[in-house]
Amino acid sequence: VDVGLSAEQEALASAVAALATDITARWTPGRGPDTVASCVPDPQTWQAISTAGLLGLRTETGDAGASCLDACVVVEQFARHCTPVPVLGTLLLVEQLRLRGAAPDVLERVGSGALRAAVTLTGDLREFADGVAAARSWDCAGADLAVVAGPDTATGYRFEEHRAADVTRAWGEIDAAGTAESLGELAPASPDTTARLTAFALTVLCADLLGVMQAALDSAVDHARNRRQFGVPIGSFQAVAHLAAEALVSVEATRSAVWYSAWASDTLPAGEAAAVARAAKAFASANAVAVAETAVQIHGGMGMTWEAGPHLWLRRAQTTRRVLGDEHHQYGILAGERLGAGERTE
Amino acid sequence: VDYSDSVDVVAFRRDLRTWLANRAPATADADIATTVAWYRDLAAAGYVAVSLPAVYGGRGLPDSYEAVVNEELAAAGALPQPPIGHIAHAVADFGSDELRGRVLPGLLACTEIWCQGFSEPGAGSDLADIATSARPDADGTGLRVTGQKIWTSGAMWSQWCLLLARTDPEAPKHRGLSMLVVDMDSPGIDRREITMSTGSREFAEVFFDGVSVPRSNVVGEPGQGWQIAMSMLTYERGPADMGWVGRMGAVLAGAEEDVRTGRRKADDALRRRLATARVGLQVLQWHVRRSLARRQHELPGAEGSVDKLLATRVEQDLYATLADLAGADAVAGETTAFSSYLYSRAQSIYGGTQQIQRNIVAHRVLGLPRE
Repeated sequence: VDVGLSAEQEALASAVAALATDITARWTPGRGPDTVASCVPDPQTWQAISTAGLLGLRTETGDAGASCLDACVVVEQFARHCTPVPVLGTLLLVEQLRLRGAAPDVLERVGSGALRAAVTLTGDLREFADGVAAARSWDCAGADLAVVAGPDTATGYRFEEHRAADVTRAWGEIDAAGTAESLGELAPASPDTTARLTAFALTVLCADLLGVMQAALDSAVDHARNRRQFGVPIGSFQAVAHLAAEALVSVEATRSAVWYSAWASDTLPAGEAAAVARAAKAFASANAVAVAETAVQIHGGMGMTWEAGPHLWLRRAQTTRRVLGDEHHQYGILAGERLGAGERTE
Repeated sequence: VDYSDSVDVVAFRRDLRTWLANRAPATADADIATTVAWYRDLAAAGYVAVSLPAVYGGRGLPDSYEAVVNEELAAAGALPQPPIGHIAHAVADFGSDELRGRVLPGLLACTEIWCQGFSEPGAGSDLADIATSARPDADGTGLRVTGQKIWTSGAMWSQWCLLLARTDPEAPKHRGLSMLVVDMDSPGIDRREITMSTGSREFAEVFFDGVSVPRSNVVGEPGQGWQIAMSMLTYERGPADMGWVGRMGAVLAGAEEDVRTGRRKADDALRRRLATARVGLQVLQWHVRRSLARRQHELPGAEGSVDKLLATRVEQDLYATLADLAGADAVAGETTAFSSYLYSRAQSIYGGTQQIQRNIVAHRVLGLPRE
C-alpha cells in the first residue's frame, strides 16, 4: 500500500497550477453577468494546454499513457484555480472514444487539440448521449463539434454555445438539422466498456469537485483570518471556526475518495471500479456543494456579491455535481445494486 | 497511489484467515470473561498490537497491519482487537526501559487489563484542569495519589490504570501533570460502577485516597503528563485504534441482506439512506487507509481529529439509519438497534468531544486564530 502522489504527480500538479494561474489571470469574471469574460480559450491558451499534452493524456493507456490519477491531478488544479479551460470535457470525450474503439487518427486529432471537440450528455445530464434528441454538449467552449457516440458511429454536430449557472464552462444546444461530420465507426458499447467509462468519468468529475472545494475552503479560511468584527478576526469565533473545520473534513475525505477511485478505475474489475466511482461521486457531489455554501456563508455579505469568488465555486460545484448524476441519482443506483430491486413505492 | 496488498500483507492476511477459520471468536454481545479470553487467544497467536516492538510482544509491523487485523476480524464477525494501542504507545514511546519491560508484556498479552484515568467530575473537555494530586509521600520513596476519576471504561475489571495526576500544583496547569502507572489493587482505591445510557456496564468512577505509587511508575519525566496524554489521544482518535470501522461494515452488510431478502421492509427513502450510509463507510475506509499510509512517514498529529470527525459523521448516520430500518421494533420490540443507535451518540463525546476536535482542526490544521 502506497497512498500519496508520486514525485512525478507532484511535479505535474505544480506545472498545471502554474499554467492555470497564468490562464486565470487573463480571464475576468467581470462585475456582473453582463461583463463576465468569455470562457472560450484564446489561441495562446489552447496552444499552451495542447502543447503540454493535457488533452491527450489518455489517448493511450497502460505504460504509454497517463493513469486516471494523473488526469485527476490535472483536473483538480484547473478547478482549484477556477480556470475556464475545456480540459475535463475533452478528457471525457477522448476516454469515451478510446474505449469504444475509435480510429487512432480521430483520437490523435482530438487529443492533440487539432480538432476541438466536446462531449455530449443526455438532456438530464445523467448519461453520455447516444443520440442527438434532447442532447446537450458540456464544457464545449470554443469547440468546433459536439460529438455524439452512437450505437456504432461517432458523429460531430455544430452547436449553439451558451453559458448558464457555471460561468467557467459552456453548454451546447445541438443543431441536429445542420451539417454533421462523421468521425468514423465505433465498436458497440459492452457492459465492460460502459463500466470503465463510468469509472473514469465519475472519478475525474470528483477531482473537479475536489479542486473547487479546496479553493473554496482556502478562501474562506483566508477571509476568516483577516476579516475583523467585534474587534477580532471572525475566525476566532467557534461558530465560524467549526464551519471551516467541518469543511476541511469534507475536503480531506473527498481527496481520499478521489485517490481510491482513481486507483480502482485503473486496477479493479470494471464493475467494481464503476461502483467505487459512483460512491465517490455521490460523496463528492454532496460535500462539494456543502463546502462551497460554507465559503459563501463565511464571506458574509461579500459572499453574496459578484465581486467575491465564492459564487463562482458554488456555481461550478452545483454544475459538476449534476453532470453524470448527482448524489441522489448515484444513491438510487447503488441501492439497487446492493439491496436488489425492492418494492417500488414510487 | 497503490492500494493493493504487498506480498507480505497477502501472506499475513492468509495466515490470519486460516487461524480465524479454526476459532469460534467472541462477538459483540460477549460478556467480559469471554471477551478477555478471546483477547488472550488473539494475543497468543500474535494478532494484538502488531505495530509495537517484538520485544514487548508486538511484531514491529507498520501501522497499516493493524487495519488488516481489524478488517479480517470484522469479516469473521469477531470483536475488534482490544483497544490498547494508545496505552501501549504511551508506555513504549515515553516510559523507561525498566517500566516498558515490566508492564508492556502483560498489556500486550492481555493477561493484565488496563484502564485510562483521565476525565474527572470537574475536568472533561478542560482536561488540563484535573485536580487529582500525586505528592511525595512521607519517606520520599513514592507518591501518594488522592482524587477522583470518572467515566473510566473497564475500571471494574482492570489490574492497572494509566493515570493523569497533578504532581506540581505551583506550575502552570498544563505543565504540572504527570502520567502514572497505578496498581488497581492498591489500598485506598474504591471503584463504583456507572451504568451507561445504553445499559452497558463498562463505565466506573474511581476514588483514590492516599494511594501509594512507586516513583518508578512515573511514565517519562514528572511534568510530561500533558504531552503524553495528547500523544495518546492522537492515537485514540487515529485510525489504528478505530477497530470498529470494519465492524460497522459487517453490521451494515447484515442490514443490507435483511432488505435484499425481504426480512426487513425499506421504502425508497430508507433504501437511499442505506446507500448513503454504505458510501460514508466506504469513504471512511479509504480515508483510514490513506491516514495509515501517512503514518509510515510521520508521527500522528492533529489530522487524527479530522479522522475522528469523519468517523463521527459516518457512525452516527449509520446507526440512526439502522434504527429507522428496524422501525417500530427499535422502540417497541427487541431494542438492539436502539441500543446501538444510543451508543453511537458517544462517538461525538469520548476521546475529546466533536467541539474540541473542531477547535483542534481550526487552530492546528487551518491556522485560525484562537479566541
